[in-house]
Amino acid sequence: MALSARAANPRQRRPPRYAIAIGIAVALILVLVASSILNYVYLDTVAGRTSLYGLLAVALTALGTFIGVRGFDRDPEQRRKDFIRAGVLLGLAALLWLLLIDVFIFTGAAGPGVAAICALACLPTTAFGLWVVRRIDRNEKEPWRLVLVAAAWGAVVATSLVIWAESLWQLIAIRTLVPGPGLDVSTAFSAGILEELAKGSAVVLLFLVMRNEFDDVVDGIVYGAAVGLGFNFMESVSYMTNLYAIFQPEGVGSYAAGFQWYARQVLGLFFGHATYTAFVGAGIGIARQLPDVRRKLIAIAAGFLVAIAAHFSWDAWLTLFPIEKTAIGILEIHLRTLIMTGPFTAAVLALLLLGLHIESQALGDQFRKEAARGSGAIMPAEVSILMSPWQRFQQRMRAISRGGLRAYFLLARLQTAQIDLAMERWHRERKEVDSPLEAEEELRRKVVALRKNLAA
Amino acid sequence: MVAAPVDQVRTLYRTLLVYAAVSILILVAGLAEFAYFEPPGQHTGLKATITGVFQYDPGSNTTVGPDRNSFPRSMLFAAVVDWSSLPKNVVVDARWYDAFGNVVGSVGPATPDKLASQTIIPVRVPPGFQHNLPGHYIFVVERYEGGVPVEVIGRRVVLVER
Repeated sequence: MALSARAANPRQRRPPRYAIAIGIAVALILVLVASSILNYVYLDTVAGRTSLYGLLAVALTALGTFIGVRGFDRDPEQRRKDFIRAGVLLGLAALLWLLLIDVFIFTGAAGPGVAAICALACLPTTAFGLWVVRRIDRNEKEPWRLVLVAAAWGAVVATSLVIWAESLWQLIAIRTLVPGPGLDVSTAFSAGILEELAKGSAVVLLFLVMRNEFDDVVDGIVYGAAVGLGFNFMESVSYMTNLYAIFQPEGVGSYAAGFQWYARQVLGLFFGHATYTAFVGAGIGIARQLPDVRRKLIAIAAGFLVAIAAHFSWDAWLTLFPIEKTAIGILEIHLRTLIMTGPFTAAVLALLLLGLHIESQALGDQFRKEAARGSGAIMPAEVSILMSPWQRFQQRMRAISRGGLRAYFLLARLQTAQIDLAMERWHRERKEVDSPLEAEEELRRKVVALRKNLAA
Repeated sequence: MVAAPVDQVRTLYRTLLVYAAVSILILVAGLAEFAYFEPPGQHTGLKATITGVFQYDPGSNTTVGPDRNSFPRSMLFAAVVDWSSLPKNVVVDARWYDAFGNVVGSVGPATPDKLASQTIIPVRVPPGFQHNLPGHYIFVVERYEGGVPVEVIGRRVVLVER
């Protein structure tokens, strides 16, 4: 059986977590189907049509993800084909979903041009957010393909789930509750619970299916924040287009859309959904390294709980900080975000910094142990360089002057493989992998081969 | 004797549990707020008669045309309530909420007798705007208890078209 060099868990047979992942995926699809049928029957025809057509986008996303994930276990040639197929399917799903939102919900009033401008305005800020989130994992950056898959799930699948579920909740609430603070709290519970469950399900699936790329709390925060940024992108486009359509007849459509863009894509880029779902990821990341099932489940539940509470508090108590329609209102908007979401963002940053500290210490320890082993995978002189992202970068820059870009990329691959090896050793030492030693040996051989390649 | 090294992942776990404990307090506070504004056991079976929602003429403060469920945004409209259908000892109000949850028209709270002259409750166009904002508008007649609306005894939802 051929082993993937990156694989920490070479699979003799399918681990039970795959069955859990399939179960969750099937449950999500069933919820989507049931929700869309209910909407079609009980809501107006536009929302109903969107629900039914939206299923196609969801099916494409599910199929694309399945093919993409399956590709990781195949030989390089088949893997390449699978990734291309998965990319095409995910791209089609994203386009279809954008098209649905634009055509069937908002563009009737605002027009496709406005929808396109809104989407284009949100793209650079969201891309910047994803770049920052990926870079904070200073020791071992997550692959772009998974970060983008996480964002795409947040944008397409999670929004699909909540549009329908929240519509039903709202439909019932406005027909049964007293309008005012009680209804506001109900709506906040709806947003907190449903949106965080919908976004968090993507992180849970990544954790179950891509365990080799899900090492610890840092990775969890990265994936969670990426899902949140994807969700925030789609929500921003929806709100901007919708508010433009509402306010344009009064001549202030651009102002309303622009304000939404600033509030969601600049001020709230890291404070809103990215922070909330990062807590879900943090819980799952911590669970990844806990020894017993009970604590794992508690950690995952705690992550969801914090995310729901953070989201709920913003939606429920926003009106406690009214914004004056004067120049000072601009200051108040910033202060409101800082006061209401700032503590949660600080809390997730604390987990991130502690996680990075633990990860750095552990990797440093493993670099030293591997160097002392004398396998040739890590030399004693390389330990201090590998422990510092800045020194690793400087070493790569020096490689450019010696051997050009080829040497830079070869060294980058070598450094990544050495970090993968240390990470594998760390998980093995903590008894977080149940695989034979073969995977570690394979990583070691890969490092030695890369070193020879670089020297050649 | 050397003490066993502390597993720092446990520190992360405990930190998360502290966050979770604070989160439970936040959610309990939310439930308490919900219970305060939606107190259980307030259902009296009382029903206010909403005669309908009609086009509104602000000049003569009268309604015109048939009862409708949707209006173009340029058309003013108002709800008509038959206050005489309610007992004299209850305190009630009537309010219009726009799609953003803002109150855009109201009478009361007072007893039905005092509201007898205010059977027409129009929707106000927001200051600075020429027309109503589109979306679903909710009209409610609420029963008060202890200075807080505790029960909706009449409700209509109308659509302001784009």
